[in-house]
Amino acid sequence: MIRFARALVALLFAAPAVRAQDPALSSKLDKPTLLAVSAIIDSARAAKLPTKPLNDKALEGAATGADGPKIVAAVRQLSIRMGSARRSLNSNATPDEIKAAVDALQAGVSTRDLALVQSASGKRPVTMPLAVLTDLIGRQVPIPTATSLVLQLERAGVKDSELSLFQRNVRADIERGADPIAAATTRAKGLVQRGAPGTNKPAQ
Amino acid sequence: MPDNDDLKIKNIANELRRPVRVSAALDANIMRAIRELPRHARASLWSRLTTPRRVTIMPLSWGVLAASLAVFAILGAAHAYQDVHRAAAPIAKALFPKSNKPQAAQRVQFVLVAPDAKKVAVVGDFNGWDASHADFQATHNGGVWSVTAKVPVGHHRYSFLVDDSLWVADPSAPRAADNDFGVPNSAIVVQSQE
Repeated sequence: MIRFARALVALLFAAPAVRAQDPALSSKLDKPTLLAVSAIIDSARAAKLPTKPLNDKALEGAATGADGPKIVAAVRQLSIRMGSARRSLNSNATPDEIKAAVDALQAGVSTRDLALVQSASGKRPVTMPLAVLTDLIGRQVPIPTATSLVLQLERAGVKDSELSLFQRNVRADIERGADPIAAATTRAKGLVQRGAPGTNKPAQ
Repeated sequence: MPDNDDLKIKNIANELRRPVRVSAALDANIMRAIRELPRHARASLWSRLTTPRRVTIMPLSWGVLAASLAVFAILGAAHAYQDVHRAAAPIAKALFPKSNKPQAAQRVQFVLVAPDAKKVAVVGDFNGWDASHADFQATHNGGVWSVTAKVPVGHHRYSFLVDDSLWVADPSAPRAADNDFGVPNSAIVVQSQE
């Protein structure tokens, strides 16, 4: 009876971990990869991290023809980065903000700068600012300059739609041959001066 | 009288102390008799399962069993409720849209200039990285490939897949930093209409 009770209790605690797999994952990953990815996703769920990005990462790996170990490593790495990103943002960070923060971290932004962007944004979501920051870095704007510009724009209360336009303008300038730093700095300056009078002091 | 009793006890004790002669064949006789007894057949699994037997259970055990089953059922019901609730949420949003709530998806146009391409699809987080997704197959006009599709509000990573083999980042979108699989990605932040 005691053995039966123990088995029942073990089953009771194991029940929450037994969940249906995403059918897309099940159909696109081989069994060992699926098991490993599922374990990482379960751990992320237990840590209250968003799990869809992990699911998407595994599907991306399958779509690109990556082998199982590579997919597992990428999913695990993403899970670790999401943990770092969430610690840098506030506890109410949305999955989209965490995804954007992961990209920024991978581009080389420090967790401290992530927290600064979060702080400068106040209650506004940081998804767009972080996406623009990542893009600037990808277009050869040095990380300290890109971070400083995004902080200025956030402190000036620039809207997401204006940030999106800023990103497109900087890209166009660079594609036309402009120096990335000059393009980003000039466009940011114009936005700050136009967007929020009195808040256009350069960030330190 | 006491002296008489003492004497009797002494005689009995002497009698008990006297060694008893045992036949040398006694041990052998006993063992032979034991071996001749019928052997117990080892019970088979089936007979063990089907033979009635009496089981004693403490009343408290029934309480533990009932409580465990109740908790198990409650947990199962809670998970089922969450799944149903999660699945029903988009339907509820579609049926009862609120003007002050963000819309679930926006139409987004993806454009790629690829004059030599035979086929272009948009593949990303929003379609499960499924290159065959019907809504994301681009059509072309003079080498300018485009597709307009509904994309959920939020941050997504994606790429163009040209001729089922070449991955191309969207030149007009922010770049995504990660390149875990050697494929260039773009990022898109889809926002609700304000």
